[in-house]
Amino acid sequence: MVKKTFKVSDMHCTNCAMKIEEIEDDLPGVRQVSASYHKMQLTVEYDEARVSEAQILEAVKSKGYTVEA
Amino acid sequence: MASNNRNNKIDPVFVMGAGVALVAIALIMLLFQSSEEIVPASVFAGSFGQISVAFITGLTTGGLSCLAVQGGLLASSLARQIEVDLIAQPKSRKGQSRPAAPTKPALPIGLFLLAKLAAYTILGALLGWLGSFLSLDPVSRAVLMIAIGVFMLGNALRMMNVHPIFRYFSIEPPKFITRYIRRTARNGTEMATPLFLGALTVFIPCGVTQAMMGAALATGRAGMGAALMFAFTLGTSPVFFLVAYLTTKIGSKLESFFMRFVAIAVLVLGLVTLNSGLNLIGSPLSFGNLTRGLSSNSSAQAPAASEGDLTLYVQNQGYFPQTLRAKANAPVALNLVTDRTYSCARDFVIPALSFYELLPDTGKVVVDIPAQAPGTRMFFTCSMGMYTGLIVFE
Repeated sequence: MVKKTFKVSDMHCTNCAMKIEEIEDDLPGVRQVSASYHKMQLTVEYDEARVSEAQILEAVKSKGYTVEA
Repeated sequence: MASNNRNNKIDPVFVMGAGVALVAIALIMLLFQSSEEIVPASVFAGSFGQISVAFITGLTTGGLSCLAVQGGLLASSLARQIEVDLIAQPKSRKGQSRPAAPTKPALPIGLFLLAKLAAYTILGALLGWLGSFLSLDPVSRAVLMIAIGVFMLGNALRMMNVHPIFRYFSIEPPKFITRYIRRTARNGTEMATPLFLGALTVFIPCGVTQAMMGAALATGRAGMGAALMFAFTLGTSPVFFLVAYLTTKIGSKLESFFMRFVAIAVLVLGLVTLNSGLNLIGSPLSFGNLTRGLSSNSSAQAPAASEGDLTLYVQNQGYFPQTLRAKANAPVALNLVTDRTYSCARDFVIPALSFYELLPDTGKVVVDIPAQAPGTRMFFTCSMGMYTGLIVFE
């Protein structure tokens, strides 16, 4: 398990954070997701053997947000 | 389907927004016009007036602001219906490639809104009940109003992206709640999901709703708190229903079309609330007191200083005259005269004397004011900080 923090610069409200956290259910291998509108960041705890960082970034982008590692 | 809709020349969201704005302006003009031939002022005075304002706030800023925050939850409510509708169609998974809107969206939207209405009414009752224990005297009410005003201003500035610091004016719900809501949306049944999610919106209130919750708390009465939240949530419902009926993707569209409008409306409401709080503590910095102080005419037009007796007419529209002149260095009897006065003007406050009394709707109450130094400016106000006036001692 690894825990990484990403920068998401275009959240508009707390609902955006909630929407991004949906990737917790979308991606197998993602254990826990915590998005903060206050800090404009996303912390993901995931199993590297089952899901890659690129897949996580792609999942966030598919929800309409700009994410940086 | 969705991409075809985007090619339409007139966006339905824009049409809806313009329609709602026009209806709201018309309602506000009707409500606040002074002509008593159409609607007697007393009808909209007091509690009913507060409830009407809450309804209109919901219909305008509240509806749009709530939809921006809770639109995603409503879309989740519709997801089950969408699944039912698409059972025979090829499946399109995840995120942006959302299928077409459900063919029968009215029922889940209606259930969602019904549950939301019930939940917020109960929340209003609880807040009002909680407020009764806070024993809100004018000073604590003023502090609460100033805090609400600052909160609203902070939220407006957050929506305008003025500075990252203003993001902290947005309350983030605990993660276990958002996780629970999200999973319920995925696993619920066709009817139970919208009902349950509608009720859960109490945990993700938008900025305007949070301010209204503060107002419900300030009422200090469970019934009034419930009525206020009911009226506000009812006001938000038409916008929710109509716009959600047209498209389930309104959340993102709203942000681009209306966020600035909502921000400006919240900014104005925040300034009004802050101003009311300043009035309530008798601050010379409130808008009314500041302009009254700057205007030399108001003092000149005030009735001449009387020997020890002043009369103030407390009416539905405020206090008349708004500026009184009294003799300094001598006690003064202030006669407060009401005549079928039902507005909050009868909830009379003199902050400097810590005087606070609910006047009879018709009658006379005398306030004994001790001798004041020359040049003293004593402000008075209603308990809502809406109507104000001044006694100048000279």
